[in-house]
Amino acid sequence: MAEGKSEILQGTLDLMVLKTLEAMGPLHGYGIARRIEQISEEALQLNQGTIYASLVRLLQRRWISGAWGASENNRKAKFYSITKEGRKQLAAEAENWERISSVIGRVLQLADRR
Amino acid sequence: MLEWMRVLASRIRGWFSMGAVDREFEQELEDHLRRLTEENIGRGMAPEEARRAARLRLGGMAQLRETHRELRGLPFLETLWQDFRFALRMLGKNPGFAAVAVLTLALGIGANTTVFSWMREVLLNPLPGAGEPTRVVELESLAPSGEWVPTSYLDFTDFRRYLKLLESVSVAQPLSLAVGTDRDAEHMWGEAVSGNFFDVLKVRPEVGRFFEGAERDDKQNAHAVAVISHALWKNRLHSNPSVEGTTLRVNQHVYTIVGVAPENFHGSMAGLSFDMWVPATMYGQLTATGDWMLRDRKTRMFRVLARLASGVSIEQAREEVRAFTKRMSEANADTSLGMSATLLPIWKAHYGVQGSLRGPLSAGMCVCGVVLLIVCANLANLLLARATTRRKEFSIRIALGAARGRLARQVLTETFMLAAAGALAGLLVTGWLVGALRWLQPDVTLPTLARTPLDAGVLAFTAGLAFSVALLAGLAPAMHAARQNINEMLKEGGRSAAAGTHSQRLRGVLVLSEVALAVVALVGAGLFVKSFNTARNIRPGFAAEGVALGRFSLSTVGYDSAQTDSFCRRLREQLEREPGVTAVSYADSVPLGFEGGSWEDLKIEGYVPPADENMKIYRNLVASGFFTVMKIPMLQGRDFDLQDDREHEPVMIVTSEFVRRFLPNQTVIGKKVYGWGKWFTIVGVVGDIKVHQVTERLAPYFYIPVRQIFRPEMGVTFYVRTSGSVEQAMAAIRRETHFLDPALPVFNTTSLSEYITASLFGQKIAANLLSVLAGIGLLLAAVGLYGVMAYSVAQRTNEIGIRMTLGAQRGDVLGMVARQGLKYVLPGFVVGAFLAAVVARAASAALVAVSPADPGAYGFAAIFTILIAVGSTAIPAWRAMRVDPMVALRYE
Repeated sequence: MAEGKSEILQGTLDLMVLKTLEAMGPLHGYGIARRIEQISEEALQLNQGTIYASLVRLLQRRWISGAWGASENNRKAKFYSITKEGRKQLAAEAENWERISSVIGRVLQLADRR
Repeated sequence: MLEWMRVLASRIRGWFSMGAVDREFEQELEDHLRRLTEENIGRGMAPEEARRAARLRLGGMAQLRETHRELRGLPFLETLWQDFRFALRMLGKNPGFAAVAVLTLALGIGANTTVFSWMREVLLNPLPGAGEPTRVVELESLAPSGEWVPTSYLDFTDFRRYLKLLESVSVAQPLSLAVGTDRDAEHMWGEAVSGNFFDVLKVRPEVGRFFEGAERDDKQNAHAVAVISHALWKNRLHSNPSVEGTTLRVNQHVYTIVGVAPENFHGSMAGLSFDMWVPATMYGQLTATGDWMLRDRKTRMFRVLARLASGVSIEQAREEVRAFTKRMSEANADTSLGMSATLLPIWKAHYGVQGSLRGPLSAGMCVCGVVLLIVCANLANLLLARATTRRKEFSIRIALGAARGRLARQVLTETFMLAAAGALAGLLVTGWLVGALRWLQPDVTLPTLARTPLDAGVLAFTAGLAFSVALLAGLAPAMHAARQNINEMLKEGGRSAAAGTHSQRLRGVLVLSEVALAVVALVGAGLFVKSFNTARNIRPGFAAEGVALGRFSLSTVGYDSAQTDSFCRRLREQLEREPGVTAVSYADSVPLGFEGGSWEDLKIEGYVPPADENMKIYRNLVASGFFTVMKIPMLQGRDFDLQDDREHEPVMIVTSEFVRRFLPNQTVIGKKVYGWGKWFTIVGVVGDIKVHQVTERLAPYFYIPVRQIFRPEMGVTFYVRTSGSVEQAMAAIRRETHFLDPALPVFNTTSLSEYITASLFGQKIAANLLSVLAGIGLLLAAVGLYGVMAYSVAQRTNEIGIRMTLGAQRGDVLGMVARQGLKYVLPGFVVGAFLAAVVARAASAALVAVSPADPGAYGFAAIFTILIAVGSTAIPAWRAMRVDPMVALRYE
């Protein structure tokens, strides 16, 4: 199947969605997309629809759950929240991410010094 | 739960609730869009503008939906389903193509499945209905010469008692039975078996029980009970559920039915089916021989089946049998000196049809493989032709963005569908063909060959076959479809004169190999047909033409010696009065039949045999006039006459080979020979005959007057020579017998010429089977060749038109097409003949008096190849010849 952790961009988007949900509590798709854009200080301009593919992947792994609920001014929206397993996964992935990025950082510095 | 399992489960759920989730996702996107639009309006955009910008931020809606769907469901299955429906539509649009492909496949798969199921029946699964059949072995006694012989009842009881590595040991002996009433008796085959027979085979009764308690002891003629076959129960007793305890008249005695065998159980001989099982201890009663046969260690007539004890290998058990029989032969030196025994797996045993069928069926299976390859080539060919006509479709699909892999998959899906349909049709063909083995078998007095059921094993074989055919035939066309070059295709466009040279070349190679394979099958068939005919034309030493046979089993009506004698004399007198009949006689056996005949251990006055010489000499018990009927020359002395009965001196007639071997260079008439406990005087010498196989070397043989040795269990055969029709003589035998004793079933009338082909049973089956298969192969190759030729002519219509406008004559066009046909056929024949020569050398052991390089077989193959070449080129060539230049030039 097409997904797989090797796809860095896909993986990082999934990771960001998980982190956002952990930090913000239940959110709908628009909310998540906005939040990621704000956090990245608008540096990351998402094609917001791609959020939904990420949400499906996370749902299928039961790292998040989704439910319809009422939002501000009584509009119906689907809210996503992180599950216990999602938190575990996030912790593991975050650690993994930091290790990789520090390794890459060091390698890049090494390359700079020459 | 593993991550991927969770994903898969979710995808499967998603696949089933696709519609609902789609609508939900639609709402979600709608909501998102609205929020984005509001955000944009908040930034001061005009509503219209805001909505457009929102759409841009969100991304292409259709694409989003598609990705979402794909992630949620099972895209692989969905495309498969799409391919499947599309393939169905394409095949429906082209029913001619589909029909030819499916028929071709049905023929190939049907033939293979049929021969496979025969093979399995005869060789791989010789004991259908038995539990753990691979643990059942056959115990065969061995004469001092190493020849296998049946086993005596007393030896069997010793085996049963003392052999420790065999869990159970039983006997079985085919028995001819007349079942019914005084007025209406039907001939059937049964088995006389020991009480534990069904334990050895691990069979469970369908109704009632098998033999139990006292029925299992060795007390003779005390238990008139019978187990009947499912077929007999169904056909004669209307599946009566309370059949247990009802009675049947069996050979004039009343027998109580105790149980019914299960439907899939036919008895203990591979490929044959029996209808009744009675205790072996009833043998004396049923054959009217009293009780001496089971008490005589020298009367070896039983087949012994045993089940290996658990954990014991056949080698270990065989060693025990060998050691034990060595001790037995010493303890019973008077009867068994030099005897031993061995164990064989059932498929190697000498009883049953497997011995004569192994060779022919293996050859048949090989040719079946060849036919299947032809089918593959043919199917690939059809698919390629279709792919060429579908170039436009493919190029448009590629241009619209279809992946090449997807196109290949589409072609493969179609192939698999065709193969599946072909396999189903093939099973129908098989269902009809499996019974045909019985037609291939000569009409002799054998229990009928069991019908082969289509079971899981055969179905698995067929499915495997269909799968491999689809893969083999579909791969090249699929790759071809995937390799399409749009540019080239668009360039070629409508101008198809030179279209698809690559695929055309591939098709040429396929047709060439089809022709080659058909030649291999033809040469094989030719060799076996020739071998069969050669063997049939070997003079057996007697004249079989014009002789009718009528076979009786007088013991079935309980005739004793005097009754038999009087019946035979009266029947003979009646038949001699028939118009056209020139001579009548009778004997207890027929040479060159299936039964193999009987032998006697002889001592010959004045001849001291070397220690290892086999003095078991085959013999026939005959009435006077036998040699006249058979046209066997009387070389010295006299024929038997009515005086040669029990009141007179025992006499014997021997063959010239007998004389050459035992009594050379001396006066033969008057010499004494010892057998059956008395001395016989030689009164005559006759010409040699072949006894078991026409291909055998001459062996000594002798004759005794039938009235001097009474063996009622052996049966009587009447020989009637007629100058008129053999059919009429056969009818006369039936009529006169019925007139003399209506209760006596004539279980077989046949012509001697037909009967002796039984000795060529295997040869005949091989010749018939291979001819049929080669015919199928040839037909398929012809279809393939026709397809390519017709296609090529259609493609070249334009070119032909131009040629004709430029002055080419019809003859030139004809020659052009014919030359193209020859381009495939000639190399095909050469390659095929070469392959056939290699294969035939490997099979030469199965051929009788025919060299594997027999020019006749190759000539025959060449003639047929030319015939199909002409046949399948003629129509396209004729069409090419009639091309109207004007029409052809406009043709596009």
